[in-house]
Amino acid sequence: MSELKEQLKSQIIEQLNLEDLTPADIKNDSPLFGDEGLGLDSIDALEFIVLLDSFYGIKIEDPAAAREIFHSVDSMADFIESKK
Amino acid sequence: MYYIHKIASITHQDSFNQTDVNDSLVEITEDAVLISPDYKKYILPASLRRLSPILRMAVAAAKECQEAITIPFEAISVGTALGCLTDTEKFLNVINTVEGEILSPTAFIQSTHNTISGLISLELKNHSYNMTHTQNNLSLEMALIDSMLCCDEGKDFVLLGVADEAIDFLNKLKPIVLPENSIVTSGTTFFALSKKKSKSEIGFKACRSIIKAKDIEVDIDLFLRELKIEINEIDRIYTNQNSLDYPKEMVVNYEAYSGLYFTANAFGVHLAHDWLIKEAKKYALIVNSGCNNSLGLILLKNDKA
Repeated sequence: MSELKEQLKSQIIEQLNLEDLTPADIKNDSPLFGDEGLGLDSIDALEFIVLLDSFYGIKIEDPAAAREIFHSVDSMADFIESKK
Repeated sequence: MYYIHKIASITHQDSFNQTDVNDSLVEITEDAVLISPDYKKYILPASLRRLSPILRMAVAAAKECQEAITIPFEAISVGTALGCLTDTEKFLNVINTVEGEILSPTAFIQSTHNTISGLISLELKNHSYNMTHTQNNLSLEMALIDSMLCCDEGKDFVLLGVADEAIDFLNKLKPIVLPENSIVTSGTTFFALSKKKSKSEIGFKACRSIIKAKDIEVDIDLFLRELKIEINEIDRIYTNQNSLDYPKEMVVNYEAYSGLYFTANAFGVHLAHDWLIKEAKKYALIVNSGCNNSLGLILLKNDKA
């Protein structure tokens, strides 16, 4: 699971061009969106949908659930595990 | 006259925020790099990370012009020959290789030609007239004519700019479409224009775009004759041609300093503007000859001379 989280962090940095960040800068339980966390926005949410589809073959069927799934690295990793 | 109140260029020369760009000119080489400002001073980090080089350059140059005139522009006119090539290439590669059904939104959003003027509008919080002109190597001329018309309509200050960027693929077009020995590169130049006199009192006197020029020298004569100006009144010609039939001392090839991009004639305007100030000369002509015999002619005048 921790390996998956580290992999996710690298993919997030790569996909969203977060040039100034390293995986160590992203805490597992920190919010990814909003001012408290990484400050990501709605376009980044779309990039996450692409990321899950292209790297893990997972499609988000219910857009309303995306807010919860993309809350943090922890929640994304839990969602990926649940789909295995 | 359409006076130039500010010019900001990002090129291989030290041309951003310089008093005279001619002071430190060096001929471009294959390994030359763009001399860029610190983009973090102009664009918030959250936006900056998404922007390709052409967008960063154009926004920084546009903001520099806005800062110089302080009041909002009443029109934005941008010329670009090939638009946002980096994002276009990225998006096409994704379409070509992606195995899933969903495509990345960022490259798609930023792959259109009018992303540049649109983003400038957003960054400047300017909702005035906003137009993109894409006419190959005549894109500056078309955007300039539009800017002149905006000024004639009574708009106080107009933001005129050009931007183009290189990707490796362009080198594959040599020598069929592009000259074999050319250095294909990127660049941007933005101008704050107004009918109000600027401090330098230098401005655009006239502009002409010719789709099929038969003879460059003849077309230059016709252009000048309509303006009741003789060729011997022109103090210097800035051009991308090496074969013009004029005395060598009055001709400067701007591409030797900018490299090749289809709107590099705007950098020729920047060179000419700064030279007219320094030498207190009256007229400079920018001659831009491109593929398919298209020809752009821009006359700069110094009212003080």
